[in-house]
Amino acid sequence: MPETSRRDFLKLATASAGAVAASGCYDHVEKLIPYVVQPEEITPGIPVVYASTCQECPVACGVHVKTREGRPIKVEGNPEHPINQGRLCARAQASVGRTYHPDRYQGPMRRGESGALEKVSWEDAIATIRDAIQAAPGRTHVLGGNTGDTLSALVDRIVSATGAGGRTIYEPFSNQTLREASRKVFGVASEPIFDVSGADLVIDFGSEMLESGISPVEHQRVWAAARDLAAHADGGARLVYIGPRLSLTASSSDEWLPAIPGSEGLVAAAIARVAIENGAGGGAHRGLLSGALASASVDAAATASGLEAEQITRLGKAVAHAKSAVALPPGVAVSSRRAIAATSAVLLLNDVAGSVGGAVRIPPADDAAHNRASYRDVLALGKAMDAGEVDVLLVHDSNPVYSLPKASGFQAALAKVKLVVSFASIADETSEQAHLVLPDHAPLESWGDAAPRNGIRGLVQPTLRPLYDTRALGDSLLDVARALGDTIASQLPSGSFRGLVEAAWAGAGLRRSLKKGGSFAASAQASVGAANAAGLELAAPKFTGSGDFTLVAFPHSMLGDGSGAALPILQEIPDPVTSIAWDSWAEVSLATAEKLDVETGDLLAIETSAGKIEVPAYIRGGIRDDVVAVPIGQGHTVGRFASKAGQGLPGTARGVNVGDALPGHVDESGAQAWLTEKATVTATGRHRRLPVAQPQDNKRERQLGEVITLAQFLEDEPAAAQAGHGEPAAAAHGGGHEAPAADAHGGGHDKPHEIREPYDPADDSANQQLEDEFLMEKAIKASEYRWGMTVDIDKCTGCSACIAACYVENNIPVIGEDESRRARQMAWIRIDRFPGEGDRKELIPGRALVGPNHEKLGDSDVRNAPMFCQQCGAAPCEPVCPVFATYHNEDGLNAMIYNRCIGTRYCANNCPYKVRRYNYFDNQITKWHTPMELGLNPDVTVRGQGVMEKCTFCIQRIQYARQESKNAGEERIEDGAVQTACQQTCPSGAITFGNLRDDESVVSKTADDPKRGYHALHVLNTRPSVTYLAKVVRGPVEG
Amino acid sequence: MTPPPAMSVADTMRRDPEPPDSQINADLLGVMYHKLSPGYLLLLGAAVLSVVAAGATWVYQVYIGLGIAGYTHPVFWGAYIITFVFWVGIAHAGTLISAILFLFRAKWRNSINRGAEAMTVFAVLTAAQFLGIHVGRMWKSYFILPYPNQRGLWVNFKSPLEWDTFAISTYATISIVFFFIGLIPDLAIARDRATGWRKLVYTALALGWQGTTRQWKSHSRSVLHLSGLATPLVLSVHSVVSWDFAMSIVPGWHATIFAPYFVAGAIFSGFSMVATFFIPLRRIYGLEAYITDYHFDNIAKFILLTGWIVTYGYASEYFIAWYSAVEPEQTSFWLRAFGPYWISTWTMLFCNCIAPQIFWFKWARTTPWILFTVATLVNIGMWFERYVIIITGLSREYNPAVWGIYTPTWAELTIFAGSFGFFSMLFLLFIKIFPVIAISEVKELAIHEKAHGGAH
Repeated sequence: MPETSRRDFLKLATASAGAVAASGCYDHVEKLIPYVVQPEEITPGIPVVYASTCQECPVACGVHVKTREGRPIKVEGNPEHPINQGRLCARAQASVGRTYHPDRYQGPMRRGESGALEKVSWEDAIATIRDAIQAAPGRTHVLGGNTGDTLSALVDRIVSATGAGGRTIYEPFSNQTLREASRKVFGVASEPIFDVSGADLVIDFGSEMLESGISPVEHQRVWAAARDLAAHADGGARLVYIGPRLSLTASSSDEWLPAIPGSEGLVAAAIARVAIENGAGGGAHRGLLSGALASASVDAAATASGLEAEQITRLGKAVAHAKSAVALPPGVAVSSRRAIAATSAVLLLNDVAGSVGGAVRIPPADDAAHNRASYRDVLALGKAMDAGEVDVLLVHDSNPVYSLPKASGFQAALAKVKLVVSFASIADETSEQAHLVLPDHAPLESWGDAAPRNGIRGLVQPTLRPLYDTRALGDSLLDVARALGDTIASQLPSGSFRGLVEAAWAGAGLRRSLKKGGSFAASAQASVGAANAAGLELAAPKFTGSGDFTLVAFPHSMLGDGSGAALPILQEIPDPVTSIAWDSWAEVSLATAEKLDVETGDLLAIETSAGKIEVPAYIRGGIRDDVVAVPIGQGHTVGRFASKAGQGLPGTARGVNVGDALPGHVDESGAQAWLTEKATVTATGRHRRLPVAQPQDNKRERQLGEVITLAQFLEDEPAAAQAGHGEPAAAAHGGGHEAPAADAHGGGHDKPHEIREPYDPADDSANQQLEDEFLMEKAIKASEYRWGMTVDIDKCTGCSACIAACYVENNIPVIGEDESRRARQMAWIRIDRFPGEGDRKELIPGRALVGPNHEKLGDSDVRNAPMFCQQCGAAPCEPVCPVFATYHNEDGLNAMIYNRCIGTRYCANNCPYKVRRYNYFDNQITKWHTPMELGLNPDVTVRGQGVMEKCTFCIQRIQYARQESKNAGEERIEDGAVQTACQQTCPSGAITFGNLRDDESVVSKTADDPKRGYHALHVLNTRPSVTYLAKVVRGPVEG
Repeated sequence: MTPPPAMSVADTMRRDPEPPDSQINADLLGVMYHKLSPGYLLLLGAAVLSVVAAGATWVYQVYIGLGIAGYTHPVFWGAYIITFVFWVGIAHAGTLISAILFLFRAKWRNSINRGAEAMTVFAVLTAAQFLGIHVGRMWKSYFILPYPNQRGLWVNFKSPLEWDTFAISTYATISIVFFFIGLIPDLAIARDRATGWRKLVYTALALGWQGTTRQWKSHSRSVLHLSGLATPLVLSVHSVVSWDFAMSIVPGWHATIFAPYFVAGAIFSGFSMVATFFIPLRRIYGLEAYITDYHFDNIAKFILLTGWIVTYGYASEYFIAWYSAVEPEQTSFWLRAFGPYWISTWTMLFCNCIAPQIFWFKWARTTPWILFTVATLVNIGMWFERYVIIITGLSREYNPAVWGIYTPTWAELTIFAGSFGFFSMLFLLFIKIFPVIAISEVKELAIHEKAHGGAH
């Protein structure tokens, strides 16, 4: 071998060093660029929070928008807002995604010759509208959804000033029926406020009060308060649900009466009758028995509803004996063409129960936009368009092409309008039919306000400068009006829409309102006359079509009326009841499935008088045999997430729009009747694999979603608890380690087998041996903190707001339909749902992808067990990681070092709770579509390909609070200073978080619950930091 | 332990006129110089092609992510780990034959040990690749090595995967060294007869072997010592691999019997693979004088014995699952037999427990096609054994809400096929480059037998 010269050696060494260095450069370099001139209110790393109002639905909850370095990254409830009091639903949590939606229009667009949208200038766009309006005076129409007060008033002024043809307000789910029934019964056409906080009996006639009903966040909050076991020794309020399917609300009820849909009015009237006969109201309502309730009878109601007469009688007696009974009116799913009668009967029942003026308040009527929405009007508009009477149609905040039933003819009539202008921010079916698109700002970029309820006004303020060349709807309309000439302009306010909002709030104090989020006063009550529902036509509803099944179209708890479909998080979060994501499904009963010989995923053809839809079946026990139920909200054909465009199938609908099978009948109030169709259901012989997130629902007596009976809850201190935990403060906390661990785990307790002794953080004798084994043993022992959580599954409704909050807070990628089919969702928190009927050890042979459903008709025992990292004290995941990518930190958390992970996935195999999530692809690249990355939380690492991830109790929030507390010179982080994202949003307040080493902390006290506290899968001795509080089965309502 | 059977290879050889040295050389080196038949080229071509396909799949997988494999939420390990364990198992026969049987002076091993050792090396090399294929960030997989670094990072010696890393790398090192040391005298023989490029290669590899007494002495001393070193490894490697599972809390994995049961399974599959490869080899290259029915008889006996140990393992697992009264464990095992993966389980039981029972009959043990068929069945059965353990365990764990079904995808099947391609490719190249039967040891045996009249 030739001698290597020194020169050659150096050459080689340099070349190899260069090669090694170059191969290390696989990540693109990112630079931190400091502000040249730093805005005064922005300190990098410190969030700035703005109070605003959620615009996802007409409830208009107050929100706090958290911004970092000028970008809104999270929406949280405004604690000062009287409706939601700091809590939010999943839809509101996901709403931050509207700002960064990849399908946003980035500037004004005009439909070119080719049919595609092309860029146009604002001037040209406005001139086009001006010319079209001038060419045909009085033939312009504004069609829109719910908007705030100021905007609504402005639209009215512009419509009248320009002499345009008119204005129609349309919301797919309106409160029209309820207002009309209120007018009929109480003489005031307004939406009653149902406050169940003081009630001891709540009867929900299908309003779905805990999911998609009148005010879900508020109702979850007050309902949880009404049955808080700490405050109500008797178990608190009872909830009875009457409806055809085991909905989310039904799953939380104490008693579910699976009535034939449409029979609610008859049942309510019969209950009212029995209540009066049993002395409700002390005879004040006896007149009704010969009046409005003359035709009501228990037997007729039992026949019409398929319920037992005994059940109805028992409920009637319960109403009579209740201190405060509240009945909630039928919701969308059961709104027939006789919905007014049914709703009136329910309102009457409230009056009979003596709740009107107390728990049920009737505010004075007002003309807020959401109170003017009318389905009948929009049908009339469609007729006018069809007759060629409308030349210019301006569409805002509404997607009628999607949400109106095809049978209404609106879609076809739209083609006859010469100029359709859409103000949509995100592309939808209607804007894709428009000739001009003048995009509005995203909600978080807008000024505005909302008046959801008498006395409550919410202010909407922008939280970032508009990302694109968009313009506020008010300004666009003002521009159009001003372009029409000076005479018109002179009748309109000068300045911008922002100026109008500011002027409108000057009285309430603009600065104060901006800080507070609005002005909140108690709702006034209208003077209500004696309830009188003369001419109440109590009869079973009319159905069109023939067939053995009743088609129930029900609101999807995530997607609402379909407006949520554009938001990927809402698509990805599984439906809380069926656990299906990204698709539509048709719920049929076990007997129906047997008759049709189908299994879950087999496509069913559902044929009604209006048309035929094909939907994959979801087979469950919790639905009547004569009902087929399909959620509303899917079936979009436009949108990267709403349709299958993002999967390379542009124009292909995601799931089906159930509206295609509805004729779109009008009820007597002018609202849309959704429950009108009899359907034939046949198997097509084809199959589509549904993304079912939870294919098995039997918990096999394992310690997952536990229940105890009310009797067990109420009995005196259990013997074992007295032995182990008698004198808890002195013995267990006083340094005495004599309470032996063996005793705590030993059998022989006179209590349900599932419930174990609560976790006692101060008693570390049991932990001693385990902790000694940890490398960080000393630090862990020395730490003042062990972060812990309690989850009260008695309060958890399964609404999934926590999941949405976690997605947004922790930059969790949305993986889409195909990956969801492989169960690779990245959610750090999920809600396991176990019907009580499935709580048995059964062995099922075979290879079915979706196991048998264990729900039972009329059985509402469903346990929702939110499952997330339990931060085990003896975590099975930790010792198996070869590289210490997961380890126990000194505060008792199972911390993750994402950079260290090499992706062996052993930790996930060894996690009995299966809460670790793996990045099978580079979600950073494939799932964050520009500009979605702007909404990422800068405090949380975005995980790359091949990395395991999981919940760490929002460790970024812990660290922030730690810093704050240090800055404030406190000895330690105060209890309550750290709120995890899931805890913060939980509408029913089921989650408590804090330091288990602090005996005074709320979490220590709630975790110390000898009757209800248990650790998930405690037999594995993983010593979790999470204590679940068992659900208390209160049993059926007593008469 | 009783000494190995009295009959030796030389006994059977003596039926022919005693083959001279040159005849042995010609016979055994002949394999290397045999004309490249179309069949050989076809096999080699297919092997290379499958390796290329698997390599391309792997590159794509590194680029796009492990998502192209069939993993689902509860099943985080799949075909890659199964195939890894399978090849580690295969790697056991070689060392067992070379080291343990050497120590026990089982002379019949002499004509098959070279091939078996080669299979060991190739199987370990194949298996080792799966560690890189399986991890999500193979470009960071060096994190698993405890190397000093400025960041103060260290590895977790509690993790069975860390033990695995050491077990596999140690085993690979020892196997390669053992293989090479044994090869030196034969390389010298080959060197003396070779021309062209072979001459260069053999000269370099023979390390100047002259066959002096001193060299022979050192050689046999090192083989003896290496055998001593390798023997515990045969037992430890698969024990450690089994702890990848046994140390976890997954129902169906967490069992103390795993180590012996995996080792027996490894030997079971290793001997089957030896049979699978040697039966065609003997036939094609006419090595009936060296690899005799007697060898097959012994191999079959080993298969029968280890088959029973494995069967005992299965029985014990089921018994303990029932006896433990732990419901998740019981459910897991019930579903193993009757749940989603019942086909795999019954395939495994048939191949590993029922099929080898034919070896109670001598005619079956000495009929090559029967041995070949059963050995192939055992290979299939042992792959399914790992499939059953890993997949049924993971798919039906503690929380029924996240039970799931795993199905391998095209990517996993391509890479699985590629692993066979890689192994076969190396073996096919090996038989053309190195003496597949240890020439010097066969000669030694022949000479020994001649000198002692062959009688025991």
